[in-house]
Amino acid sequence: MAYTSEAAGQLATAVPTASAKAASARSALIAVEGVVKIYSTVAGEPVLALDRVDLNIRDGEFVCLVGPSGCGKTTLMRLLAGLDRADAGTSSLGGKLLDGPSPEVGVVFQQSNLLPWFTVWQNVTLPLHVGGGKGVGEREAALRDLLDIAGLKGFENKYPYELSGGMQQRVAIVRALARDPKLLLMDEPFGALDALTRERMNAELQRIWMASGKTVVLITHSIDEAIFLGDRVVVMSPRPGRIVRDLVVDVRRPRVAAETFGSPAHVALAREIRTLLDG
Amino acid sequence: MTDIRSGNSAFDLIAASAAAAETRRRRVRIRNFGVGVAGFLVLLLLWKLGVMVFHVQPYILPAPEQVFVALWSGIAVSPASPLGWYLPLWSTMSNALLGFAIGAVLGLLFGSLMAEFRPVETAVMPYAFALQSLPKVAIAPLIVIWCGFGDGSKVAMAALLAFFPMMVNSFAGIRASELERLELMRALSASRLETYYLVKLPSAAPYIFAGLDMGIVYALLGTIVAEFLGAQEGMGVAITKAQAVTDVAGVFAALVVLGATGVLLHLIVRWIERSIVHWADRGKH
Repeated sequence: MAYTSEAAGQLATAVPTASAKAASARSALIAVEGVVKIYSTVAGEPVLALDRVDLNIRDGEFVCLVGPSGCGKTTLMRLLAGLDRADAGTSSLGGKLLDGPSPEVGVVFQQSNLLPWFTVWQNVTLPLHVGGGKGVGEREAALRDLLDIAGLKGFENKYPYELSGGMQQRVAIVRALARDPKLLLMDEPFGALDALTRERMNAELQRIWMASGKTVVLITHSIDEAIFLGDRVVVMSPRPGRIVRDLVVDVRRPRVAAETFGSPAHVALAREIRTLLDG
Repeated sequence: MTDIRSGNSAFDLIAASAAAAETRRRRVRIRNFGVGVAGFLVLLLLWKLGVMVFHVQPYILPAPEQVFVALWSGIAVSPASPLGWYLPLWSTMSNALLGFAIGAVLGLLFGSLMAEFRPVETAVMPYAFALQSLPKVAIAPLIVIWCGFGDGSKVAMAALLAFFPMMVNSFAGIRASELERLELMRALSASRLETYYLVKLPSAAPYIFAGLDMGIVYALLGTIVAEFLGAQEGMGVAITKAQAVTDVAGVFAALVVLGATGVLLHLIVRWIERSIVHWADRGKH
């Protein structure tokens, strides 16, 4: 363990210098600065889940967070979703401090988390009816378009149990986009799907993202998924959660699984990430 | 051409196997029904033989056909006849259903308040448990003193007995709402009330229907008990009247009517449940 954290510490110095960070912070849509999160275990012992995490994300960027279980990536996502509060540090979106749930942030959970008593349409319009929402109104056309893009046209009146797992997760993505948020957070959205469906869903997500132009933060423990989808892949270390490397994926879009996987760029990145995670 | 034909035959095979499965299911259903009827006939036969062999007096245990005659004599009359089952059953049912409605609504209200507000739970729970462990039919004499011998005491007893399963079940059901769904509502900044009726109440629906199912049978029980203590009409009165003249066949017939009513009410609740909570136990992803 001592060796691991030492190695992580050394790698942490490889992240861009302070001045470079400050420069990127100015143009960033999302700025996470010095965020610390401490949990207490059932036994009452404090656990450092996130240790001074800095992260800047530009508008329209697709960022993938990878790391082993317990590296605090879900913690980071919960902070951005406003479901938890940081013990130190700040996160902001478009210059506004994120200290609670915001309509500018859409969340896609690990399981589709659809409400089984509502139809697809009722599920995707839910965000427009609660939390001071004024109803569907002029968002109707945009939502119908999104459903169409997600291949869900004609399924508006079906119940979630009538859909496949992949379709349910696509409904969840459309729901997260219902309020037209700036940021889309996704916590291992395809973890429960089989490998082939997952690959198809990745291509679908890329399409939806390219059509919507949203900023996306996606958490995954699949290195391939991260490289296929991300403009950047942010690698995190296990407890305490730190960012150990911020890698740029320089592959043009739209990416196609058959071309991207096995390409020299992909292989090199995958090897680097794997080395970091094994470190 | 061959390809198309083989494609067709594949579809035929699928259709045929689906049809075969349906036939098998139907056969099983028919067989189960047959077993039920046969069991009932065997029971009647044993009853009849027992009465004959041991020379049981009709005022102890009447033969099945005597019960049937008593039952039929109450069925084959005008609905307005004082000799029929219709008037007393109507009286009992209307009181039981009104009491059930009151008890169910109050039970849902209290269960919800307890689940939503810890202080309410802390304050109410001890009394709820104390009352719950009390045999509630023992309260019936008090209820009669307070509400009189009229319909009031019947409705009150029905409400009291229907209240508890509804309160306990709606409390448990709301507390069992899935954390992820509550977090979704939190991430959407939904108000407490919105979270309650859009997520918690539907989550609790299977529990609430189980409570309704119990509650409706208990409400019937409560009404009958109150009728035993004194009433002008109702199935409880029909039973005590028959008992007074040792018309045991009449008592049995009344019990059959009550039993059938209970089963019918249970089936109605289940039917409503199936059409409302159609999503339960299906596709939890």
